[in-house]
Amino acid sequence: MAAIGQIVEPTPSGEVLSRAQSRARLIPDCMVEAKRIANTVISGWHGRRKRGIGENFWQFRPYSDGESLSRIDWRRSARDDHTYVRDREWEAAHTIWLWADLSPSMMYKSKFGSVSKESRALVLMLALAEILARSGERIGCPGVMEPVSARNAAERLATALMHTPLSGGLPQTAMIRGASDLVLIGDFLDPADTIMARLGPLARRGLRGHVIEVADPAEESFPYAGRTEFTDPETGEKLTAGRAEIVRDDYRRAYIARRDTLGENLRHLGWTFTPHRTDHLASEALVAVHMYLSGMPGRATHGGQL
Amino acid sequence: MSFLPFIFANPLMLAALVALPAIWWLLRMTPPKPVTEVFPPLRILASVLKREETPSKSPWWLTLLRMLMAAAIILAIADPVFNPRSNTLAGNGPLALVIDNSWATSSDWQRRVETADALISDAEERDLPVSVVFTADQEHNAVPGSALSARNRLAAAAPQPLSPDRSAAVNALKTALDGTAPGTLAFLSDGIEAADSKVMVELAALSPQNFRLIEGGKDQAVAISNSANDAESMVVSATRLDTTAARTLPITAYDTRGRAIANGSVAFAAGEGVARGTLAAPFELRNDFARIAVDGMATAGGTFLLDDGFRRRRVALLSGEARDQSQPLLSPLYYINRALAPYADLVQPNEADMAVSIPELLAQKPSMLIMADIGRLPEETYAPITKWIENGGTLVRFAGPRLAAAPADDPLVPVTLRQGERALGGALSWSEPQPLADYPALSPFAGMPRPEGILVKRQVLAEPTADLSSRTWASLADGTPLVTTKTQGAGRIILFHVSAEATWSNLPISGDFVEMLRRSVQLSRSGGVASDGAAKGQTLAPYRLLNANGILISETGKARPLDIAAGTTPVSSAEHPPGLYGSEEGFTALNLLPRDTELKPIDASGLSIPYTSEPLIGAEAWSLKPSLFAAALIMLLIDSAVVLFMGGAFARLRMPAAAMIVLALAAGVLVAISGQSLADDSKPGDDIILRQLNKTHLAYVITGETDVDRLSERGLAGLTEFLTYRTTLEPGPPVGLDIAADELAFYSLIYWPISANAPMPSPAAISRIDAYMRSGGTVLFDTRDQFSSLGSDSGSSPNSERLQAILADLDIPPLEPVPTDNVLTKSFYLLSNFPGRYNGSPLWIEAQPDNGSQPTGRPARSGDGVSPIMITGNDFAGAWAIDTNGMPLLPTVPPDEQQRELAFRSGVNIMMYMLTGNYKADQVHIPALLERLGQ
Repeated sequence: MAAIGQIVEPTPSGEVLSRAQSRARLIPDCMVEAKRIANTVISGWHGRRKRGIGENFWQFRPYSDGESLSRIDWRRSARDDHTYVRDREWEAAHTIWLWADLSPSMMYKSKFGSVSKESRALVLMLALAEILARSGERIGCPGVMEPVSARNAAERLATALMHTPLSGGLPQTAMIRGASDLVLIGDFLDPADTIMARLGPLARRGLRGHVIEVADPAEESFPYAGRTEFTDPETGEKLTAGRAEIVRDDYRRAYIARRDTLGENLRHLGWTFTPHRTDHLASEALVAVHMYLSGMPGRATHGGQL
Repeated sequence: MSFLPFIFANPLMLAALVALPAIWWLLRMTPPKPVTEVFPPLRILASVLKREETPSKSPWWLTLLRMLMAAAIILAIADPVFNPRSNTLAGNGPLALVIDNSWATSSDWQRRVETADALISDAEERDLPVSVVFTADQEHNAVPGSALSARNRLAAAAPQPLSPDRSAAVNALKTALDGTAPGTLAFLSDGIEAADSKVMVELAALSPQNFRLIEGGKDQAVAISNSANDAESMVVSATRLDTTAARTLPITAYDTRGRAIANGSVAFAAGEGVARGTLAAPFELRNDFARIAVDGMATAGGTFLLDDGFRRRRVALLSGEARDQSQPLLSPLYYINRALAPYADLVQPNEADMAVSIPELLAQKPSMLIMADIGRLPEETYAPITKWIENGGTLVRFAGPRLAAAPADDPLVPVTLRQGERALGGALSWSEPQPLADYPALSPFAGMPRPEGILVKRQVLAEPTADLSSRTWASLADGTPLVTTKTQGAGRIILFHVSAEATWSNLPISGDFVEMLRRSVQLSRSGGVASDGAAKGQTLAPYRLLNANGILISETGKARPLDIAAGTTPVSSAEHPPGLYGSEEGFTALNLLPRDTELKPIDASGLSIPYTSEPLIGAEAWSLKPSLFAAALIMLLIDSAVVLFMGGAFARLRMPAAAMIVLALAAGVLVAISGQSLADDSKPGDDIILRQLNKTHLAYVITGETDVDRLSERGLAGLTEFLTYRTTLEPGPPVGLDIAADELAFYSLIYWPISANAPMPSPAAISRIDAYMRSGGTVLFDTRDQFSSLGSDSGSSPNSERLQAILADLDIPPLEPVPTDNVLTKSFYLLSNFPGRYNGSPLWIEAQPDNGSQPTGRPARSGDGVSPIMITGNDFAGAWAIDTNGMPLLPTVPPDEQQRELAFRSGVNIMMYMLTGNYKADQVHIPALLERLGQ
């Protein structure tokens, strides 16, 4: 009898990129609803309600001496006797940090899921990068890529991933400054306390976080029966169940409880939590995260369930 | 090795038991292999899976089971055998061996030879002379000789398909020993005591120093002692020697080519030595039985040979009577049926139409054909019947009113008959009813006692001829023949001059009738025993003989021809071994054992010297090997099941409950659907038949002449209207019948206007009319010319000639004009004559038998059934015919409306007679019935 689950090879980022772009084409552009936009000089699309560098008209004001003559708006100035300068609204870009957990457990794929968890996580990450880059946001990946604001941010992220593969565990976040958004994709199978101990300081630094938990259906439904030896792909630890079917209910209770606990704790931090299964479409998770990022309140209260 | 109760055939294999600890270690090390699964959330699983199972060891009891399995296999290969032979020969006189080589020894003959050989070897060690006799042999050479010659003779001996002749053997031994007492006398017996001698006493008279009785297993001593062919099956009697336990033995019947064609079983009850079993098979198959054998008993006693004498005859019955089965005692076939059913297989026709039924019966190849009171057969059936008789068939005919009225030139009667019958006793006769005389010596009935109390009141008479007395099998006391016969070709015609029911004589209700018929049936065997008595003996050469294994072989050896003498049953002997004697055409079976023998064990009581009883070599030596292997196999199965269970195979097979429910429902639906499917047996034309059966219809024959047919239709329509108006009978519209094609059975009366201009009906159509009359219908012939030729001497009209032509092919009973006391005159109206459009012709019906026993004062004579035929010349239809307005179509002759009314009344009476039969005649009993009811 063939095993239900297996460990698969890491997915090439080129393939992931193409899949991610095809997913991203289905999703409208995403403008991050920045509550507190980082006070940067880099132009973006988030209006600051004050004069500054931007594209949109903000106000006409009288010309004061010392200003560059080139800034005079001659069309307006020709209407009366004063000379006016056209001010533009200060528009700043927002920084989104994307990160996917690629620990060995993410390589797992069961026969019930369509792809491995790692593959799905990368697809989600690159698709988010594509969507956000279309909106002009700055995309970064901690330890891999500094935030860039470019139309081809997804391609650049994929290239960077090729050179610097993601490692397991939670990212180093020292380089994250100011009020940024952080999207974490992973399976989060560690105990909830460990995860919260790691994420709590980030929240207190003012980062807004979005957590996508990618799970395989076999992990959730536990379709094993009979005498089965289970192996942990990260630690190599082995565990033999004499009759796997009798612990199915207990296991599922424990699994759901862990997910609920994690989701509850994250919401206490003000973060969002999106569980996702690899037998569902990646677009579902994308749409959910898209809504969270866009600040749509209706979806923000659905309790973390798919 | 004698200190052990058993020895090992391959003791070296026991060394493999040393390997058991190694096997134990290996078994403990090998865990049952789990399915390996990668599972990332192992920590969560570990939190719920409390007891961590260590897969490194299988449970101790599983290890023990496998150890036992290995030990059982090793021991089985070592082959332990119980009871090795240990005794040695004692004594110093010569060794005398009396060996049965009868039929019962054939199954274990090899072991008997080994036992005798071991004894001879013992004698050889001690340098003793050996004397050997075989009890079933003819010649005995019992002179003590060397062990070598004894061994040679032992090797040459073979079991014979005979019963042993032990007295001759013991006498030969006694002569050869010449007074010297044998040191050891060993009797290798088949265990069956001969009927007339006590062999143990005779052997003890030789006063041996050591007397041994060596017997083999008795379960093979089973013999079939008899078989009988009865109505349903072949009953087989069997006997056995070992009566301790209940036992059921399968038996098989084989045909002449040795193919098994029927199976049965014989069940012996515990303690019973004799049992009966049945071989149920169809009659045709039972006739093919040539040999019956007990399965698994390849002995001459377990085989029973059959010959022609066992076969049951097939007898076809045919009757001219049109009686329904509700009055069986009036049917001649009833008595024949009851008499012959135990002895023969009876076939009866499905159709009343003889032109169809006779070829159908002959196609079933009966040995005998019995025709009860048939006067005239359809013309085309004479040739096949004659051919069949000449090929060896036996035709038995019974007289009756029809035969008495038949023309004298019937080729199928053995003597020339006078027309009409002879009545003995009654009002018009001086003679008294006659008893039977003694049976003539040449008759097959000879030997039966002269029947007492049989009186013949009526018979048909044979014209006297010169050889009549030689062809008479039974006669009356005044010498008139009662049973006559004639051989024709290879066959025979037998005529009983009385009817087969009890109206003419009381012979059919006597036991002599049964015996006469039975003997006649026995004669009907084709090619068997000659009919001219069995005074002279017959010598039959051996054809196929049984060997000791119960197989028929063509090698006849020293067998001599068998003399078959009447009254003696041949017995098998060395000169006449069991087998088939005769030739391929006909043979007699000679079986090993006389009929109903019982096998009895050797009687060893009342001996003067002690004896020891011991089994054959290896008789009790049985090997443990098969049971050990079986135990190992069972343990292997248990182990496999345990491993599968532990591996979770059954859990993975478990189906969701919903799937089970769906499966159960599907199965239930399938069963329900298959259980309720009904065969659609409707046929085209069923609706027409149902319409005809819903109402009574008057019917007429379509002659093909338009105006006649129109008149018939209008006439029956008029009668229908009259019946509806005057009686409770409300018939449907009249029906015109094409007698060659339409089904006639739905109509009780068919009106047939005879027209000389119409085309003559075909013989097939007339045969159908014949069958219709025979099965209870009535045809009303109307010549419509007032002057019927019947009984009138005024010449015949064309219509009368046509009627004669039609009737010539019909089997019609004697006719008479309606007598005044017939029911027909009283069935609805009181009528004295039956006018139609004319008033000159009488109405002819079947003559009622004048029993003479009825009181003359009664207003109506009772009879049985209705007349199958009515003939008139009065043109009923012409008088009944009305047009659509109800006005008569034709005037009566003379023109008298009263006559038309009487014609209608005649029609009503005829219809009532048809529908109620003799009910009106029984009305005369009403006063007596009321009186009996107390009113």
